[in-house]
Amino acid sequence: MRLRRLAQTGLMITAMASVLSSPGPPPTHADGDKHEHEGGHVHAHVPAPLEYADIHVPLSVWTDPDMIVRGKKIYATRCAVCHGDQGDGKGPAGVVLPLKPPDFRDKDGVAEMRDNYWFWRVSEGGQVEPFKDKGSAMPPWKSELSVEDRWAVMAYQHTYSGHNGPHVPWEHPQSVAMDRDIFAMACVPCHGVAGKGDGSVGPMLAPRRAPQPRDFTSAEFKFRSTPSGQLPTTADLFRTLTEGVRSSGGPMTLGLRGQRIMPSFRHMPAAQRLEVLEYVKSLNRGLWERSEVKTVTVPTPPAVTPDRLARGKQLYVDAECLACHGARGRGDGSSAPTLKDNRNLPIAATDLTRPGRFKNGARPEDVYRTLVTGLAGTPMPSYADSLEPDQVWDLVFYVLSFSSHGPSAENAPR
Amino acid sequence: MLKRLGVVVFIATGLAALVAGLVAFASPGRVEAVPAFARQYDLQCNACHTRPPRLNRFGEQFHMMGFQIPSAAQPGGIVSSLREDGATKTLIDSLALRVEGGLFEYTESPRETETKFAPPDEITLFLARPLLPELSLFVEIEGEPNAVAFENGRYFPRGQFGLGKEAFFMLNLGRLLGALGAPTMDMGGQTMVGTHGGFSMHGPMLMAGKVDPNTNFSYATNRQLIAPTELEVAHGAVDRLPIVPYAFASKFFGLFKNRDEREPQLATDQVMYNTSGAPGADFHAMFNDVVLAQVGFLRENEGFDTYAAARFDLLDRGELTFNISALVNWGFGVVRAPDPEDPNQPGGNRLDRLRYGVAANVRWKQLDVYGAVIWDRLYGLPGELRGTFDRTATGLTIQADYLVHEEVMLSSRFDQLWAGGLKDEKRDGSVLSLQAKFYPWQNIAFFVRDSVNLRSFVEDSPLRNWRNQLFIGIDWDF
Repeated sequence: MRLRRLAQTGLMITAMASVLSSPGPPPTHADGDKHEHEGGHVHAHVPAPLEYADIHVPLSVWTDPDMIVRGKKIYATRCAVCHGDQGDGKGPAGVVLPLKPPDFRDKDGVAEMRDNYWFWRVSEGGQVEPFKDKGSAMPPWKSELSVEDRWAVMAYQHTYSGHNGPHVPWEHPQSVAMDRDIFAMACVPCHGVAGKGDGSVGPMLAPRRAPQPRDFTSAEFKFRSTPSGQLPTTADLFRTLTEGVRSSGGPMTLGLRGQRIMPSFRHMPAAQRLEVLEYVKSLNRGLWERSEVKTVTVPTPPAVTPDRLARGKQLYVDAECLACHGARGRGDGSSAPTLKDNRNLPIAATDLTRPGRFKNGARPEDVYRTLVTGLAGTPMPSYADSLEPDQVWDLVFYVLSFSSHGPSAENAPR
Repeated sequence: MLKRLGVVVFIATGLAALVAGLVAFASPGRVEAVPAFARQYDLQCNACHTRPPRLNRFGEQFHMMGFQIPSAAQPGGIVSSLREDGATKTLIDSLALRVEGGLFEYTESPRETETKFAPPDEITLFLARPLLPELSLFVEIEGEPNAVAFENGRYFPRGQFGLGKEAFFMLNLGRLLGALGAPTMDMGGQTMVGTHGGFSMHGPMLMAGKVDPNTNFSYATNRQLIAPTELEVAHGAVDRLPIVPYAFASKFFGLFKNRDEREPQLATDQVMYNTSGAPGADFHAMFNDVVLAQVGFLRENEGFDTYAAARFDLLDRGELTFNISALVNWGFGVVRAPDPEDPNQPGGNRLDRLRYGVAANVRWKQLDVYGAVIWDRLYGLPGELRGTFDRTATGLTIQADYLVHEEVMLSSRFDQLWAGGLKDEKRDGSVLSLQAKFYPWQNIAFFVRDSVNLRSFVEDSPLRNWRNQLFIGIDWDF
């Protein structure tokens, strides 16, 4: 009897262990999982990749009668054969496909599709994963239809759902439902429920001084690849989320490498990082109002030479870097004690001798980007208009030379 | 479905009991900041702590999810760490050392004034790390140079070394529920029960081994910025009871922990909850990011505790958060009544204890205020003691911390004990403590702390035979 009980218990523990150690996470909307809607229609959810993540349809497009008429014409000739004259996904060619076309009359299903995802699907069709693997026969239209044509056809397709307003997350909260769940767990303590950077952690983390958690609703983002005064790209946000934000100080202990003030979420699956960023972006309507996204170009770094370092040293003086960062780059310049950020909080000038603590990255390309874009909301300006690219590299190398591991005139090739 | 649930409960309980059985008893201590986690995640201490050891909201989420960054578990657990960082770094990142306690103490009373230097109260080695995305380990090895032992009816100072207050694993059972049919979703490699945009549940997490489950409570006593003082003994007897959060203290005079050793249960002993760390199992889960529910059982003396608690995160807006918690605990035979014939000896009756209470926590900018009031009532008292023994007691503890500067935390705490127990022994207590902690680094704090007995001096009462106690000390997590 006792042996039987023991065997039963052993079996149950083994079963539980096998469940817990089974490979791979459970299904999720972020890994291409199929998701069923009312009426039995199934479609897949994945975030738009980075190259499409910033392509948001201008708000006016969705309700512009001219665009809808333009889209209708395109739809009739290119889409209806699969998606059906009524947008129900039951076109003559569609019914035999292994992956059925979506029913645009399914208002819940349409509401869950974000505009950048939709644009990606129209542009790339079924030639990309995970749709290719699922047998999608959707052709890519990016080479045949202009961007405006694709927007127009999306606007027309959108009319089938019965929704009259623009197709944006604040009209369709379900399109960022998963993203909001991740945000609630991982981001709210610092960034606050509304993403205004007013969570309860910030005031204790750095009391009465910068940096404070980012206000996602504001127009100012520090870490960008976009020109000064502009909002960041999704890739910028993705980089910050992945890398975290390093801090200028930390505990006195062994083995701490990054001393981050914001954790690195690099272990979060990439698809889920993209998902949570869609929620973050939904907090800032300015992202839907910009007509185009420009990013600064970071040229290939040239070789470090003594001449470059010498020029960089002069630029460091001429550009008044030493006023804040000091002659030795220690962040102890004459202006450093008076620096304030846009919230009027005291802010420290970065200690350039410790590149491991640079918040926007310490690779030469990162420093180049910082110099060209500036750090919005802080006293760090953009030098895009005052320095030529070659001069920026000179300054980059000189800035990095403050570190004991950085380039120096001695080890630079002559 | 019910049958399935029964199987789950059976398996979980069996696992918990298995681990609990493997864990030995050891001297009480405190759980504090663990730089091992800072190293593992390359984070500042203050990312999780208002100031160590108290957790901020992010730290609470981190703890609740089994020492994983919320929604970002390392996919391969310790195997990934070994592969990425190598064995040495993985080992260093898993260990932490804590030195804590007063180095100098000044005690004033009308009878005498004492000053003394002492070694740190506790030196603790931590081993802490997630092993898998759904499984974490936390073990304390602790040395207490100033510990007090009880043997042969007498107290005496005796340094102790061994397993510390807590040693447990934490397991996310979400995937198990999923295997049994519950809807699940992946949240950064962690399994979460529910559907996105609908009902969601983080966990349930099973914490089993030697545990003190109160971290999830609005008033987390195992994360005190004002640490409990040490028990003072002289001539084999208790000379002075420690200053602890009275709300969570035993509160009764004249009780015993057990019959064989005849060890008294002191009125200031920390019991459910918090416990001094006891074998048991705790299940907790967060629902819709608003309600945290917790149930469990723990061994206490000759009996065991069952408990349920819930925390409601009611407000989170503009640097202001507010939560309340409620606790109910039934202890089966957890203390022993005194012998009616000789109250200095334990009697034959083991008493049950009903404990219930509420706590709340408000955080606004640099201010953090938290408090709890806990009521206790004993059952099973021998009829002969009815007239001489007060079987109800209440404790109140309120603390406020204010970060006046990045490196300076001021704290004050008020403790009120309305004691129960033998009427001719029991004394109420009221203590006000003030403390300033200076953090030159995030993981090192020098503190000056003064506690004042707000009630009249009573020479023969170990609770009140002092007027004023001043401590200077250091806390260091390395």
